Parts: sequence; C-alpha cells; structure tokens
Amino acid sequence: MSALYNAIFRNNYTMLGAVFAGAFAFNMGYDTLMNKIWDHINRGRQWKDIRHKYATSEDDE
Amino acid sequence: MAPLSTVTRALARPSVFRQAVRTISTTPAVRGDSSYSSPFKGESNSTKVPDFSKYLSEKSPKSNALISYFMVGTMGAITAGGAKSTIQEFLVNMSASADVLALAKVEVDLNAIPEGKNVIVKWRGKPVFIRHRTAAEIEEANNVNVSSLRDPEADADRVQKPEWLVMLGVCTHLGCVPIGEAGEYGGWFCPCHGSHYDISGRIRKGPAPLNLEIPAYEFPEEDKLVIG
Repeated sequence: MSALYNAIFRNNYTMLGAVFAGAFAFNMGYDTLMNKIWDHINRGRQWKDIRHKYATSEDDE
Repeated sequence: MAPLSTVTRALARPSVFRQAVRTISTTPAVRGDSSYSSPFKGESNSTKVPDFSKYLSEKSPKSNALISYFMVGTMGAITAGGAKSTIQEFLVNMSASADVLALAKVEVDLNAIPEGKNVIVKWRGKPVFIRHRTAAEIEEANNVNVSSLRDPEADADRVQKPEWLVMLGVCTHLGCVPIGEAGEYGGWFCPCHGSHYDISGRIRKGPAPLNLEIPAYEFPEEDKLVIG
C-alpha cells in the first residue's frame, strides 16, 4: 500500500505519467470491448462474416 | 378566505422553525466536548458545533489519501481517454474516405500504348496525356535551347523515363484541352487561343504562360504507370 503510494502518487509527474499510461491502456481495452460487443450484436450481418459466400479467391477482394 | 389563511400559515412557519433549531443546538453533544468556542459574548448557548468524532476514519491517513488519489487518477485517465478519442474521431472524420482514395490514383497498362501514340486518361476529373515518344522525338526535345523558352525547363526535368511523357492535359492559358500531334512544333495545339506546345509539353508559341503541368506519377513495375 505504502509502496504503491510512494511509487505513483508521491510526485506529481509520476502520477501524471501513470494517468496517461492508464488512459492509453483504458482506451485500448475499451475500444476492443466495444468492438467485440458490436460484432456480437451484428454477427452474421457484416461483410467479414459473409465474405466467404461471395469471394471466390483471395485476389478479387 | 383560503389565501389569507395560507399567508398566516406561511408567516407562522419561520418562528416555529427557529424554535426547533434552538432546541437542537442546546442539546448536549453526544461524545466529548466541542473544542469550538464562539468569539461573541452571549452566543455560547446558541452556537455549539456538534461533535463529529464518530465520523472520523479509523484507517491511517495514508490509505485514505491513496484511495482519494486513486479515484482522482482514474477519473483523469478516463477523461484523458475520452478527450483523445474525441479529437481522434474528428480527425479521422476529416481525412479522405476510402472511395475518394480509390479515385485518387489511376493505373495505366503501358503495354497497350505503341510507340509514337498518345493516350488520354481521366484522372481526378482532368485529362492526362501519356505519350510513348520515339527516339527521334526525345532527340528533338533535348535539342531545344532551354534558355530561349518562355518557361525554361529541360526535357530531363519533365520526364522520369524519356520515352514516357506524362502531363496534365489542361492548357495553362485558360484551361482548354489541347489537341495532340498538332501545332507547329509537333506536340500539342490548343484550339481555343492558339497555344503551341512542343513534344515535351513546353509552351513555344501563343498566349499560354507556362508549360503543361506534370502530375505526380511513378512506375511501380516495368510496364505499369500509376498517376497520383
């Protein structure tokens, strides 16, 4: 507990760095989670789900 | 007289309330004596600060500070993430979309153009002249005295490969489309006001002030030309 306090919150710059690093990690996690939810709700309706029915080979995208 | 009775009730209410406050403040503190003493005389009975010691945290001040800072930091992180996402979405929204990018480049198969022939392709709504020049035409373009031109530019500066001349087919005078293989210099001739361009697309005669413009292009493969 005290070690955590000394490591992060004691100095303003370490706290600011931790906040920005946390924001970065939070953004990535949040985006991934929201994309997963979106894909789950719309599964079977998106191009990446039905592409195999129409695209015959890798060349013609 | 309903309104009058309402008014009297409203007038009566504050006095009742004041009395209630006084009764509360005169009750003795639950635990311990308050250290607060009023600087005003005669007020010691009316202003007594209640004892808050039962709300005091039993944890160490450090752990309370840690939780407070953690909450502040988390809030800051979420705010920073939201601000970053907002700005990013605006910038992404402003950048070119996929269909615009798809139109921005034109690919030309150079095998289909025989030597000594012109091809006009449409690129971003404008015509682009591609000429497969013969050795004699390259020779002719290089033999021109550059300093005598209106817009001095060597032929080597206008082409990436000497046999392929790629330029924007818009007359630099007023924007007509010049006619190929015409004019006094064997190049292009603008029918609108009679500008003559030579085999390198340089202005030689007529009202146009500049040479025909060269778009950005590249040869990704030997026989392939990408304009844009």
